[in-house]
Amino acid sequence: MKRLFAVALGILTAIGGFLDIGDLVTNAVVGSRFGLSLAWVVVVGVVGICLFAQMSGRVAAVSGRATFEIIRERLGPRAAGANLAASFAVNLLTLTAEVGGIALALQLASSVEPRLWIPVAAFAVWLVIWRTKFSVMENVTGLVGLTLVVFAVAVFLLGPDWGELAQQALRPAAPASEGPAVYWYYAIALFGAAMTPYEVFFFSSGAREERWTRRDLAQSRANVLVGFPLGGILSVAIAACAAIVFLPRGVEVSSLSQIVLPVALAGGKLALALVIVGIVAATFGAALETALSSGYTLAQYLGWPWGKFRRPARAARFHLTMIVALLVAVAVLMTSVDPIAVTEFSVVFSAVALPLTYLPILVVANDPEYMGDAVNGRVTNALALVYLVVILAASLAAIPLMIATGAGS
Amino acid sequence: MILGDLLDAHVRDDQGRRLGYVVDVRLVLDRPASGLLAVPRVHGLLVSPRTSSSFLGYERRDVRAPALLARWLRRRHRGTFLVLWPDVERLGDDEVVLRTGYRRWSPVLDA
Repeated sequence: MKRLFAVALGILTAIGGFLDIGDLVTNAVVGSRFGLSLAWVVVVGVVGICLFAQMSGRVAAVSGRATFEIIRERLGPRAAGANLAASFAVNLLTLTAEVGGIALALQLASSVEPRLWIPVAAFAVWLVIWRTKFSVMENVTGLVGLTLVVFAVAVFLLGPDWGELAQQALRPAAPASEGPAVYWYYAIALFGAAMTPYEVFFFSSGAREERWTRRDLAQSRANVLVGFPLGGILSVAIAACAAIVFLPRGVEVSSLSQIVLPVALAGGKLALALVIVGIVAATFGAALETALSSGYTLAQYLGWPWGKFRRPARAARFHLTMIVALLVAVAVLMTSVDPIAVTEFSVVFSAVALPLTYLPILVVANDPEYMGDAVNGRVTNALALVYLVVILAASLAAIPLMIATGAGS
Repeated sequence: MILGDLLDAHVRDDQGRRLGYVVDVRLVLDRPASGLLAVPRVHGLLVSPRTSSSFLGYERRDVRAPALLARWLRRRHRGTFLVLWPDVERLGDDEVVLRTGYRRWSPVLDA
């Protein structure tokens, strides 16, 4: 019974924790411009993140090493250092977007200027990291984030033309108003939103925080393989909401108030309140994960003591890194940069940086010296190679497409 | 000097001909431990003719999955050889010079 409860809790947390500001913004923008014609990318991204999270969780549990410890061991200090610089920068960009997302959601609830909320949000993130137990932190934000299910409910309440939605999803093509370059640019953005590197830093370091062993692998696999696809369905629901309300009117989503508008139209004040609670929880949870990831990556590369299982005084540099990362995020946001724009860049750069962590994990997941008999099977490797090609293609195409399309405008 | 200084260094023979780059240093643990730590001894250097990038562990005979990745890395590092430490004449600035009549050993590592 206790075990069943643990599995259910893990799955629910994985669903609620799947969505972050990147998923919210990118899916809504894509839904308003392309309808469901990019829904297939969410499927590709979800299968990818299941594969990647499952591999890195297994590596962490069996070898007892987290992502950046492995990258440094396998690539050597110099190549791993370059890898760290790129991964850290992208993670910092994501952290900035998430903190901005919390502030925007709180603005929706309170009508108070986001720049007043930004320091409060960052302080709250730091306080939770400093004080709260790892498992409590993860479960609370994940479970509260489940209120985002209202997006799926809203799709039904809006009473859409199901045939039209199905046609968009099943016959994917760029609408006449959008060129193919923009279509593929947003395909990469959506892929980067579903497969963000910080999820893997957090997942593998979290496995160490919770002291996983081989025995926990079955449960972690269930969490990932059930939780993430259900989270992916919520992503598609966000896109569907935007497609139903904005696509026919030719309105392009560019603010958080537009992202929640379909929910308010469908379900009124109560649904709006729920969705705002959900967005605060989802962005707050992701801000915790990205802030922790900045500490994890740097500390693991440099061999510093890390982890929330240590008291802060025993992992001082790890905690200092997170404080500095949060301060940088606040400083960037206080320039009045639009957090939605930061988010759009962060998901694309996530796609650019993805091979840097994917390749070392794939190599080590096949290394019997680390993994013993828990190395990748044939099926996993076949799928992993297909994804290696997809991830490399997305990474290489992202920046040229960004320049060619003027970042999708 | 630390071990990291050797990695990526150019390798030349005694005539000054370029042979490649040091991509790995092979250590053996065959001496009694001092305290808790084993004392490693440098057995030799892995020299790759074309690239100074890592072999990623695919020089080991029993590591061959995923097959395409293994094949690509082995192709990139074809011609890689092991020189034993006594065959190293001197270490210069970012450069390793080998002794006359140095011997090339197979880089493959058996489990």
